[in-house]
Amino acid sequence: MRTILVGLGNPILSDDSVGIKIVGLVKQRIPEHAGVDAVEAYAGGLRLMEAIAGYDRAIIVDAMKTGIHPPGTMQMLSLDSFTKTRNTLCTHDGDLATALSLGRDLGLAIPGLVEIIGIEADDVESFSEELTNGVSRALPLVVSYLVRRCGF
Amino acid sequence: MSRISIDPITRLEGHGKIDIFLNEEGDVANAYFQVPELRGFEQFCVGRQAEEMPVITNRICGVCPEAHHMAATKALDALFAAEPPPAARKLRELFYSAFYVTDHTTHFYALGGPDFIMGPDAPPAERNILGVIRKVGLDIGRQVIECRARNHQVIKTVGGRSIHPVAGLPGGWSRPITAAERDEIVGIARKNIDFALFTLQIFEDLVLKNRAYVDLITSDIYTHKTYYMGLVDGQNRVNFYDGKVRVVGPDGAELVKYPAKEYASHIAERVEPWTYLKYPYLKNVGWQGFVDGPESGVYAASPLSRLNVSDSMATPRAQEQYERFYETLGSGKANGRYKPVHYRLATHWARLVELLYAAERMLELAMDPEITSPDLRTKPGTIAGCGIGCVEAPRGTLTHHYETDGRGVLTRVNMIVGTTNNYAPMTMSIKKAAQQIITRGKVVEEGMLNRIEMAFRLYDPCLSCATHAVVGRMPLCVNIRDLSGAIIRTVSRN
Repeated sequence: MRTILVGLGNPILSDDSVGIKIVGLVKQRIPEHAGVDAVEAYAGGLRLMEAIAGYDRAIIVDAMKTGIHPPGTMQMLSLDSFTKTRNTLCTHDGDLATALSLGRDLGLAIPGLVEIIGIEADDVESFSEELTNGVSRALPLVVSYLVRRCGF
Repeated sequence: MSRISIDPITRLEGHGKIDIFLNEEGDVANAYFQVPELRGFEQFCVGRQAEEMPVITNRICGVCPEAHHMAATKALDALFAAEPPPAARKLRELFYSAFYVTDHTTHFYALGGPDFIMGPDAPPAERNILGVIRKVGLDIGRQVIECRARNHQVIKTVGGRSIHPVAGLPGGWSRPITAAERDEIVGIARKNIDFALFTLQIFEDLVLKNRAYVDLITSDIYTHKTYYMGLVDGQNRVNFYDGKVRVVGPDGAELVKYPAKEYASHIAERVEPWTYLKYPYLKNVGWQGFVDGPESGVYAASPLSRLNVSDSMATPRAQEQYERFYETLGSGKANGRYKPVHYRLATHWARLVELLYAAERMLELAMDPEITSPDLRTKPGTIAGCGIGCVEAPRGTLTHHYETDGRGVLTRVNMIVGTTNNYAPMTMSIKKAAQQIITRGKVVEEGMLNRIEMAFRLYDPCLSCATHAVVGRMPLCVNIRDLSGAIIRTVSRN
């Protein structure tokens, strides 16, 4: 089974970069050429759909802003729960669920399994390459979890 | 005064909110557009080496990193007093044309097109790219995806990296292309031309042949007579990559044409007490409020604006379409050039004329014998201390302005992004649409949200570089507020 692990976000917007940072760390801990590709992505919708087409399974890691969980909280989300994540919707072309439907309609090899992992963010409105403390502290646990989830 | 808020706006990049204020009679007094503020971009940049800017600014937004990369690179040309050699200029423009093809294509099929292809009153669940593809056919859907894929490949080949390009250097471009790559790009450009012509045909068949849509486009609701801005080449033709900024008045007469580095002499920013947004306007005309007309310094910068400021298009088939556009919607010529089209919904058509131009220009550049030249770099000279770079982003004129110390370390950064130019006209367009829908306190709920959104969407605003995206599947909520600002009712869609 070919898996793609996608870190989604903006690398220079504080906690919005959490998905990208986590996937970067996971990449260092999984063997190369073992069926898991780890990539960064910066926009949802069609671009994200195009990135994950051709894989059997996609794991998307994104910042979320529910306002009800402490920063750093990890949550498994489904395609129906997009109101919680920041980037899976690209309003210049639509949301991921629509893009995936389009991909299927067009006969693209859309992954049968799409898992979305949201990390509660604190600050997503300040330009910075650093995470806030609460989010930063959650990284080791989330990274370990994802390494296991990728089968290593 | 009552207030109606639409928060946030669907299908726009970023998170926006509309407030509509009613007067005592219950009619729309004002409509304001708000977006959340992002903090600290200038502080983030100050203290860094200026040459980092092409790769920093292209991360502001995942939608048009190519535009920021290019404006930043051009600002560095000026900062380091290094005029790029002709081959580098051509390669940059080739890269930029491929970007335009993908961006304009995506806008038409995914964002703006659904309103026309599915109809403005179609249920939201159908009024999206899925609905479009189901209506026009799966084969066209595949062509849209293929168009994106092949042009993303060109962007990667020429720009050195997909999505966030890295090839721009002060005074040049770091990535020459081989003859084999050139041949491939020629083939892609040809396909792009066919695809653009095909898309214009769809627009013709589904929109222009539908009387109701033409009436909608030419209706007063979506009409504003303002100034227009855009870059033009030496012959006053549309150019996305370089040229002078030309501004024409509502009657089409040229107000001014200036080198981009003089932007501060021509553009001022209006600050209003109710928002932190700053509204750019024409300094030498003056600010009269959110109003049309030659006395008002409000200007628009959009595909429609670019056509309105130009005398013609630089490529033959785009020129044919340009003439057809003005012959169909315009009101004749004055002083040898077409008078502006003020119908804001015509922006969707203008965007397709530009799509064809971008495709044709891409082919011209790819066929240029110099395009494979390895002579792509002028060695930077002295550090000028100030560099201003300007391109036409798909959403309007984009200006980057950097100041540095003698070592080239940034001390000040200012940007006027495409969408920012259009804050005032967008506000006016929302107000006018709202006035048609809300009278004497009565709200026509059917299609209301979308009619107001359409007033916005034609500008293709990208709030993420003006601010940044805070997005999910956006619920849409209209709060109607009474004179004290209290909510008296809510209309929402989730």
